[in-house]
Amino acid sequence: MANKKEEKTTNQLLVELFMTQVGTISSNIEEQGKSIFVTENLLSKEEINDYSLEFLELLVSLLHANDVIDRFGPQYKALGQFFREFSHQIQVRGGNIEEFLLYTQFLQNAFLDGLKSDAELTFDQTRAVMQLIASIFNDITMDVFELYLKEKENTISAQQQEIRETSTPITEIWDGVLTLPIIGTLDSSRTVSVMEKLLERIEKERARVVVMDITGVVAIDSQVSHHLVQMMHAIGLMGALAILTGIRPEIARALTSLNIDLGGVVTRSTLAEGLKEAFSYLGIRTEHS
Amino acid sequence: MLQGMHITPIGNRKILLEPGDSLDPDSPDDYVVELMNTLHTESTDTLIYDLKKVPLIDEVYYAWLVRLNKLCGLSNINMVIVNIRTTAAFSLATSMKEPPPFKCSLDVESARQGIFVDFHKAKKDGADKAASSRHRDARLPE
Repeated sequence: MANKKEEKTTNQLLVELFMTQVGTISSNIEEQGKSIFVTENLLSKEEINDYSLEFLELLVSLLHANDVIDRFGPQYKALGQFFREFSHQIQVRGGNIEEFLLYTQFLQNAFLDGLKSDAELTFDQTRAVMQLIASIFNDITMDVFELYLKEKENTISAQQQEIRETSTPITEIWDGVLTLPIIGTLDSSRTVSVMEKLLERIEKERARVVVMDITGVVAIDSQVSHHLVQMMHAIGLMGALAILTGIRPEIARALTSLNIDLGGVVTRSTLAEGLKEAFSYLGIRTEHS
Repeated sequence: MLQGMHITPIGNRKILLEPGDSLDPDSPDDYVVELMNTLHTESTDTLIYDLKKVPLIDEVYYAWLVRLNKLCGLSNINMVIVNIRTTAAFSLATSMKEPPPFKCSLDVESARQGIFVDFHKAKKDGADKAASSRHRDARLPE
């Protein structure tokens, strides 16, 4: 019997091990899955059973496909895809990467426990099977972790985009009058996106005046002021009057010390004053009733 | 029709200039004499330069616009650019060192009505206001 086992490939040994202990391994996997995911309300018992069954099927088909694991084969890709979808499902339901990694650790242990109870395997065979199990699960862990990082990056970039959009709301406050309150710091990438949106709105709304309020700009340096001047020029080139409002004393001091020439720019102290100027430019009279 | 451009008198001494695809801004001498002759013949007071079909304004094209504006200035003609594309405005604004010397308007109709942005007038107005404010402040103690 021992001789027969020596002739077998590591894949075959693992399949044999799995077949002889399928009941124990699958029930262990399901139990651990339930203890991790059901208590956290991430998956139902039925889902755990389905996932466990699918995992075992995919693993067996991978081991059956070739004598050695083919990392570019369809079975390997299918197993990877299964874990990516599984981990995505966990993340979507509010789970975290630690829980999922814990589960893959349990999967690995279920096989290693089975190996322990097989007395017929030689030392070399045991070592080869352990290496095979470790390499499969390492790849799975790497895949899942990469996906997790990608998901996190996507979430962060979506949040950044949302913050950018909400921090520069371009509003048509009157026919042909756009207002753009700028809050926070103006860096190059933000300037580009704000400028693009603003110019598109000018074209779309046929705006004749743009009031840019920088009350919410806390600090200014030469680059930021340069961006501001570029914005004012771009607005003017579109044929709309640019009015800059809300220059706080510290910003004014910084602008003068940076030797920034705002000579060609219409400035007003407050947004209200800027709007008055815009209405006056458009020939609109406002009066108290 | 002038070579490389289409000229249309639109009334009230205003001329609309629509550059064609064959206009070569690198050789302004080929156009300016004939163009200025036309403007004088029509007793033009405003030249409306339509940039609707110009996708990008590079340094060469900008230099052509600046030169044309200078020539118009010598003949006491206002030059107003209209319908600049957002992409062109964007790239031009990021490459300009100082405000453009010509006037800018949203579209032909606005330019016809005399509604345009004059960067240099805004600059002069600012200086005038600052000067008058200084004079007023100087008089306050009396």
